[in-house]
Amino acid sequence: MISFTVITIIIGFMLAIQFQSVKKPVVRDTRDTWELREDLQKEMELQSRLIKEIRSNEEKLANYETERTQGQEQTLRSTLEELKEEAGLTDVSGPGVKIELDLIDNALIFDQGQQVLSPELLRRLLNEINMYGAKHVSIGGQRVINTTVIREIAGETKINGRSLRNYPVEILVITEDMKTARNLYNRMLASNASEEFFIDNLKMTVLEPQLKITIPAYEDPIRIRNIEPVKSDKGGN
Amino acid sequence: MWLPVLGLIIGIALGLLSNFSIPDEYSNYLSIAVLAALDTLFGGIRAHLQNIYDEKVFVSGFFFNIALAASLAFLGVHLGVDLYLAAVFAFGVRLFQNIAVIRRILITKWSSK
Repeated sequence: MISFTVITIIIGFMLAIQFQSVKKPVVRDTRDTWELREDLQKEMELQSRLIKEIRSNEEKLANYETERTQGQEQTLRSTLEELKEEAGLTDVSGPGVKIELDLIDNALIFDQGQQVLSPELLRRLLNEINMYGAKHVSIGGQRVINTTVIREIAGETKINGRSLRNYPVEILVITEDMKTARNLYNRMLASNASEEFFIDNLKMTVLEPQLKITIPAYEDPIRIRNIEPVKSDKGGN
Repeated sequence: MWLPVLGLIIGIALGLLSNFSIPDEYSNYLSIAVLAALDTLFGGIRAHLQNIYDEKVFVSGFFFNIALAASLAFLGVHLGVDLYLAAVFAFGVRLFQNIAVIRRILITKWSSK
């Protein structure tokens, strides 16, 4: 009888465990259509509230952004940047053309000794380039700005006070866009300048327009003498 | 006579109170073991009523049947054949036969009174 009891205890234990194991994972969704609809509505409300929140935050962000960009300081800053760029105090890059001036091989030179890049010619070339739509120009690494002086000092051609001694002299030209660059390239190919340089024993090579040419900034501080701001009585700028 | 019933109740209470559950993949084994145990239990009751009850046969049959059923299920899982169904079938048939015999014995006992 004892063994019988023990075995019934074991059977009961097994039954209970089996019952528990089978019963546990079943969690049925017993909501009907109406309840489901209500839940869905609740979730949708939450969603719309979240979207509203996001939108207001984005608005705020945009406000801050415009405040920042439209602030007076910012305007002044951007104007200053623009003016600096225009005056040539910043590095500029953009589509443009590269022109190289190099010495002609010795064998071809009739009159040795005279191998100076004349400032006259350089100025004329510069004028021509400017005529064809150049925006920023540098010669031999020196930025050409409004007050740039090209002249001969003691037998050496100098630009911004620095000698152009190392050949080939690179002339970098940046234009408004690629189309202007191509125009300038074609015009330079057709211009008389290369013959004029040839007379001075120099060879002018115009390279294909490039998408990105970087021109260095003007190195020295710009000194302006004899200029002072106009005092206006009322309004105006 | 009441001791085995008390044991069953104690066992169920223990199982429910222990809050013990086995993983899903082993529930097959347990169910077949439960079936084997039930079969043995009813066989024991029948033998008791027929006065041919033998404790050794009963106890050995209990454990042996459970082990056999579980190993059959295990083999079935590894062979990819639902062998535990064979055990279920065998135990089910025997369960019904035993219960039928018990019912007849009880009926004859009552009608003879």
